[in-house]
Amino acid sequence: MPKKSSTNTLVHILLLLMAANFRFRASLRKYLMGAQGWINFSVGFRTETGSVEKAIVFQDGTIEVKSTIPDNVSVTLIFRSDDGVKKMLKVPPNEVLNMLMKNSLRLEGNLAYVQIFNFFISLLLDKKHRKMMEKDRQKELEMRQETASSIDPKIRKEMDTRKKSRLSGERVDPGVRYLDDPYLARYGLDDFPRLKEFVDIHLDTKPEICHERPKLLTDWFLKHGFEIDENGNKWSPELRQGEAFKYLMEKRRPIIRDNDLIAGTTTEKEIGVVIYPDAHGTMIWGELKSAPHRFLNPYDISDETAHILHHYVFPYWTKRNFREWVREHYGNPLSQAMDERFAVYFLWKSVALSHTIPDFPKLLRLGTKQIIGEIDGELKTNGADNEKRNTLRAMMLCLEGINAYAQNLANQALDEAERETDPLRKLELERLSEICQKVPETPAETLDEAVNAVWIVWVALHMENTNAGLSIGRLDQWFQPYFEADMAKITTDDERQLYIERAIELIGCFYMRCTDHLPLVPDIGNYLFGGSSSDQVITLGGVKPDGEDAVNDMTYIFLKVTEILGIRDPNVNARYNPDKNSETYLKRLCEVNYITAATPSLHNDKVVMESLEQFNYPPEDLRDWAATGCVEPTLCGKHIGHTNCMMMNMVAALEMALNNGLHPLMNWDVGPKTGSIEEGDFETFDEFFDAFSTQFKFLIDKSVELNNMLGEAHAVLRPTPLLSSLIEGSIAKGKDVTRGGAKYNSSGSACIGLADVTDSLMVIKKLVYDEEKVSFKELKEAIDTNFAENPALHAVVTKRVPLFGSDSEEAPEIANSVAKFAHDSYWNHRNFRGGRYTTGFWSMSNHVAFGTLSGALPSGRLAGKAFTPGLTPEANASKNLLDNIRDVARLKPENMNNNIAFNVKVVPAPGDTHEEIVDHIYSYAKTYFDLGGMQMQFNVVTSDMLKDAMANPENYKNLLVRISGYNAYFVTLNREMQMELIERAEYGI
Amino acid sequence: MKREPLILDIKGNSLDDGPGIRTVIFFKGCPLSCVWCQNPESKKADVEISFDEKECIGCDTCLEVCPEGALSRDNPFFIDRERCSLCFDCAENCPALALTVVGREMSHDEIVATVLKDKPFYDTSGGGVTLSGGEPTMFMDFTALLLRELKSRGIHTLLETCGLFNLNRFEEALYPYLDMIYYDLKLHDPDEHVRFCGAQNDKIIENFIELHRMSAEGGIPLLARVPLIPGITDRESNLVAIANLLRTQGVQTVQLLSYNPLWHEKERKIGVENPLSLQEPMTRWIDADKIERSKDIFRREKIEVV
Repeated sequence: MPKKSSTNTLVHILLLLMAANFRFRASLRKYLMGAQGWINFSVGFRTETGSVEKAIVFQDGTIEVKSTIPDNVSVTLIFRSDDGVKKMLKVPPNEVLNMLMKNSLRLEGNLAYVQIFNFFISLLLDKKHRKMMEKDRQKELEMRQETASSIDPKIRKEMDTRKKSRLSGERVDPGVRYLDDPYLARYGLDDFPRLKEFVDIHLDTKPEICHERPKLLTDWFLKHGFEIDENGNKWSPELRQGEAFKYLMEKRRPIIRDNDLIAGTTTEKEIGVVIYPDAHGTMIWGELKSAPHRFLNPYDISDETAHILHHYVFPYWTKRNFREWVREHYGNPLSQAMDERFAVYFLWKSVALSHTIPDFPKLLRLGTKQIIGEIDGELKTNGADNEKRNTLRAMMLCLEGINAYAQNLANQALDEAERETDPLRKLELERLSEICQKVPETPAETLDEAVNAVWIVWVALHMENTNAGLSIGRLDQWFQPYFEADMAKITTDDERQLYIERAIELIGCFYMRCTDHLPLVPDIGNYLFGGSSSDQVITLGGVKPDGEDAVNDMTYIFLKVTEILGIRDPNVNARYNPDKNSETYLKRLCEVNYITAATPSLHNDKVVMESLEQFNYPPEDLRDWAATGCVEPTLCGKHIGHTNCMMMNMVAALEMALNNGLHPLMNWDVGPKTGSIEEGDFETFDEFFDAFSTQFKFLIDKSVELNNMLGEAHAVLRPTPLLSSLIEGSIAKGKDVTRGGAKYNSSGSACIGLADVTDSLMVIKKLVYDEEKVSFKELKEAIDTNFAENPALHAVVTKRVPLFGSDSEEAPEIANSVAKFAHDSYWNHRNFRGGRYTTGFWSMSNHVAFGTLSGALPSGRLAGKAFTPGLTPEANASKNLLDNIRDVARLKPENMNNNIAFNVKVVPAPGDTHEEIVDHIYSYAKTYFDLGGMQMQFNVVTSDMLKDAMANPENYKNLLVRISGYNAYFVTLNREMQMELIERAEYGI
Repeated sequence: MKREPLILDIKGNSLDDGPGIRTVIFFKGCPLSCVWCQNPESKKADVEISFDEKECIGCDTCLEVCPEGALSRDNPFFIDRERCSLCFDCAENCPALALTVVGREMSHDEIVATVLKDKPFYDTSGGGVTLSGGEPTMFMDFTALLLRELKSRGIHTLLETCGLFNLNRFEEALYPYLDMIYYDLKLHDPDEHVRFCGAQNDKIIENFIELHRMSAEGGIPLLARVPLIPGITDRESNLVAIANLLRTQGVQTVQLLSYNPLWHEKERKIGVENPLSLQEPMTRWIDADKIERSKDIFRREKIEVV
């Protein structure tokens, strides 16, 4: 029996205090009771050594403190040491998150119960926490202020001046039929006061948590059952979801934002945070009191909402979510325990299975009514099989739900029109009412009908499925026919000009509608995915399914809107096909990047398609690819690729190979035994590379195992019949997409740290083995002590070994080997739906998070420092940007079939003209694509600008940066991410 | 000169040394010795040793290997260049690359292979290779051969020059293989030129006039460039005189180069302390107003400032 420490006693006392408070204070006691009964759970506390062991049990309104942790404890907090316990008792909640990430604290059990416990603590310590958070905030602000000491305030004007001069373009693209100047140079944001108003609202409104969706759904499930229906029969998950969804759509409030040209909203709030309790909704439980006060990305939450979520909604879902389903069904699998330690991989399915693009063209062409008819037909032929029946029936219910919602919007618009005094607005509302009567039930015929139809369905899709990564696709292609149909009816040049302006305004309204919701990010997410919004990707340009040039009028209208709004989401990506698309188009893409500083991200159409050759997709399907989430390719309307199913930390595999299976930060001997450097087990470089590969394969295998279990959880807990009705294959097979109904199925990974791993392997190969300048043992010792005692070795390692991105022969070869290994390992697996795994090299912002959780590396990278974003070379790899570009272009596409992110920060020189700057960016992009590069994204800002923004965020609310695949507002990022961006190699243009 | 030049640096992705994206080859050695030289390590043709204090990690390896005892932390420049025999054992062994060799021999093949790597970028951007330094025309034969090699590979060539060379030799050896010339005009007054640049300017001006005449008659384009050095070249009298010269020759464009103070660090690294560098106006970037006023002087003479 391990000796108990004084900390143990301290914990006991504090728990007793907590128990007493909740037992005897009515204001607290009421929180013990949920709408469906007492909230019963227990929380254990112990240290790894056993010096502390306590538990607190909440049972039917009584609270007991125990000295041993019961076997059926709901969740246990396990601390590495007494110090960790004492620390947790003193620091604000976000510091505890840091402890969790750094593995000085780990959790075992259902995470929702930690959340409730945190919530209770926050109720007790509200004032104290607020003071702590305020202090923290001040400290943060001070630290940030320090970085921007003597920055010339003139740079604040920089972004504005970029917008002032704009280039004109020539009409050369065959698909451009009406725009004489496709660059639409004459228009700026000031020409569209409505859009300007919306942008201001967007930048100034604090997001608010909305309970409408989870409440309505919980209402329905309480009444009709979740696992078992009212008659005691097991629910078909598809049918259950379909029924609940229809109810939700019928009952939700039909809102038309003031002055908007598009009807419908995602939530009841101006900017609403959507709660998916079957996914990760309960992760905000702990912050119901503190979310408005947290430093990064605070959310408003009304007392009513907090009350509803705590008493009514969340208790229903503590076990009914993907993560807990896997835990229970698979008995605490190792692969899940690894995920919950943050350092090796992160599986997204606990949050979403959203990355896909629905078949919008079909919806616009047929309307929901005809699709219902199609489903009906299938029912008649396929109706024998129960599961198929239920699945098809569920789809119909969902589409009916959409129709109901649209009808409600139509009524709402008419009501408002009747009361409207402004004649222009009255007309707009009347038109909206007409539109919502017509679409999406019946086919769209005009552009405003098409846009509204897409939006209504988009809202509906988010009512069914998590708003993280669901992507909108090739809207320029899909809206063009309606644009042309409208244009055909217009006869005079003046009217055409007016129509073009209205089209710009309408698409602008669509973009702004997309900003009305944000994904739920618990505070820990701010450190893992800083600044990310919903990542609704619009993909422009490229080629049509028949292989011809796809660039058209709408492409340029979308680019204009992207330019003048300069917002982070929708996430605009552009396909550039070197054989088919014009230089005029590419140049415009570069100009928009310059003016917005960060968007759109650019894809080499040919090379992306080349990377997917292994799938043997029919060419017309392959050519219809679009990006989902960040950059990953998905075939529109027929493919569930879950292209962001996991973020894989390749550096963890390296660290485990360096430590014979032990991961240093986690202090966990979790990997296979692959050899010890200290015992001289690696005689050649290849032997070490094998060890690395073995560890990497181990992580891949585990991550796949967990992903497949989570995939099953989705099929059981939250099939998506609406999405299924809009993905080719599902109706014909009578199978929900979560079960593999889509025509094409795959899952995509993001492998992080390619440059860091490559550079480290280069150091080992060259210094230890080729040149024998240092022994592996000595290198390992230096790494273990963060190079503190061997600065000479650190200097040699960082300066005398060629890095990836320095135009050496070997480094790209090694990078290719690593990429190939990743690709081949993933390729051998199948996912839950029977599809293959793809391999990508982009990182969201996990390169920062994983970096903080990793130690020093052979490359000389010091402990805790961010990895490079995506597969971007290290900042000091070369003074010459072109070396970077050439090296990245040498990576083989066949190993990178889930795309890459190559970040380039370029800095306009003061004397250069607008045109010169655009030409320079164009030269980089074009040459990179000519050399076979796959993807490239720019940040056109200076370090000084970023430093000033760090210190004075109020002047830079709309400063856009591209992280590694998605856009974010710089000022919403955590400090580590801001520093990473500042330090990224700055290449003066 | 018949000897082979040492090459200081081959810098890629340069956007300020001619049209498009370019690679700049920096030669070591210059007939002038301007007091404000932005590349002080290029003045002398011979190899030198550089010490960068910022990179030094204090491991003392160099102190151990130096055969001449030329290194000492008591010395503000660290290296006693009178004792140093330029054996470079220290630089070879320096883990942090704080001690480096300034100027290395490169064969034509090596140089061409290096610059060819970025040819795709030259092609897309209308860029190419720029010869600079130092002064490439100090090594006519070498430079001539290099230019011929570059031209045979379809690369656009640009020469940055101070103009002090034998014009006949230049026309024969280099002119046929150049696409563009950037020609520096620094000081008009002959005495000032000797005082601040270490040589007379009569030949420089003669060469300029002739090359401009050739360019006006369909020869290769020539761009006059004037570096704005505070208190020295940016004095109104000098700029007016240069503007007059240009006007009388019918030159229609000029480029003014803003002064930047970053060269001080470079001088320290090669062991030179220049009293001029301590003067106040030399320690900061030239300010925008001064640049505008300088531009106006040329604009008044109907010369466009690019």
